[in-house]
Amino acid sequence: MLLVLSEDHKEHLSFLPKVDSAVVGEFGRIALEFLRRGTSPKIYEGAARKLSVPVETVQHGVEGLMFLMTESSKHMISEVDFLDSVLVLGFGEELNQILLQLYLQHHAQIRSILSQLPSNLPAYHNLEWRLDVQLASRPLRQQVVPTMTMRLLLADGADGGRSSRVLQTDPSSLLHLISTLEAALAAMKTSHARRIFRNIK
Amino acid sequence: MRFRFCGDLDCPDWVLAEISTLAKLSSVKMKLLCAQVLKDLLGDGIDYDKVTKLTADAKFESGDIKASVAVLSFIFSSAAKHDVDSESLSSELQQLGLPKEHTTGLCKSYEDKHSALQGKLRETSLRLGRLEAASWRIDYTLSSSELREVNEPIIQLKLQTQGAESGSTETTVVSVSADKFRILLAELKQAQTRMNALQ
Repeated sequence: MLLVLSEDHKEHLSFLPKVDSAVVGEFGRIALEFLRRGTSPKIYEGAARKLSVPVETVQHGVEGLMFLMTESSKHMISEVDFLDSVLVLGFGEELNQILLQLYLQHHAQIRSILSQLPSNLPAYHNLEWRLDVQLASRPLRQQVVPTMTMRLLLADGADGGRSSRVLQTDPSSLLHLISTLEAALAAMKTSHARRIFRNIK
Repeated sequence: MRFRFCGDLDCPDWVLAEISTLAKLSSVKMKLLCAQVLKDLLGDGIDYDKVTKLTADAKFESGDIKASVAVLSFIFSSAAKHDVDSESLSSELQQLGLPKEHTTGLCKSYEDKHSALQGKLRETSLRLGRLEAASWRIDYTLSSSELREVNEPIIQLKLQTQGAESGSTETTVVSVSADKFRILLAELKQAQTRMNALQ
């Protein structure tokens, strides 16, 4: 599939052929660093000073490059499609090759960064439990109340922030919980689920 | 195949796979590796440089080193968890394919540290809100804005607990009047008698 670039995007990228290829390579490296760690305006200012162009032009150029890379990686477009999409910008052959190399080298990395972006539900990390029996309390002696106390540890989001929930249950609810979870596990083995897995592979 | 040291369940596949990695070590090095892993399980930390040196002649890569440490930790903690005696552990490990000398070394280390391991596991069991410290102070109230002559003792209790949800230290300060405190003390003494009866 071909990427369709908006007019603004094309305008931002039009800065790239005006500088030589070493600078384009440098911009590519900066763009990827920004994708990994976040932007830093100082670098824009430094580059603008060296090339004697306004800061905005440099910023648009780098951002345009970043957007081109993320869109291409998002759709997993092939080399041919990438070259065709870039052709529309009217750059020289050398510049197209540089952009293609940048894309090929880094698209796997960019995809892994992009995969961490959507917010996840908290995921299971660990479960600690204890089984207690309450024998007596202040108002009532001679009791037998078995209780299961659990601490569910969850990992939240890409940075692995931990949260914990403390739960308590009696034995019959626990048995119900176990049978529900086992039924959920068994649902993976039904013919309907297997048909879907086969098609995904 | 049900194994006692796995809690009467099947042995996990990765344990089976890594037992063959362990067999590549000499039995002397294996015993030293067991000592390191036991030190780690008891909370003293593991010396990775020593472990790397021990596994160097068997030419373990970093993945193999991690795997052998993991499988030994699993065997020791699982056996202690299910209170398996060392003869059963020895026969089960030999059934899984660990050579006899390695098994003997492993079980000897296990037997030595058996009760220490169980003590450590008992300590790390789930406990919500432990009481860390309790301190008290008795004041004597002379007078107040409501009444000119009060003349009553009052006790201030400061309880430091480990928060149930957060796990960090929380401080609770309560002030208790003499009567209420007598009731509190009586009830706590009753609870203590019951606890002692259980032990």
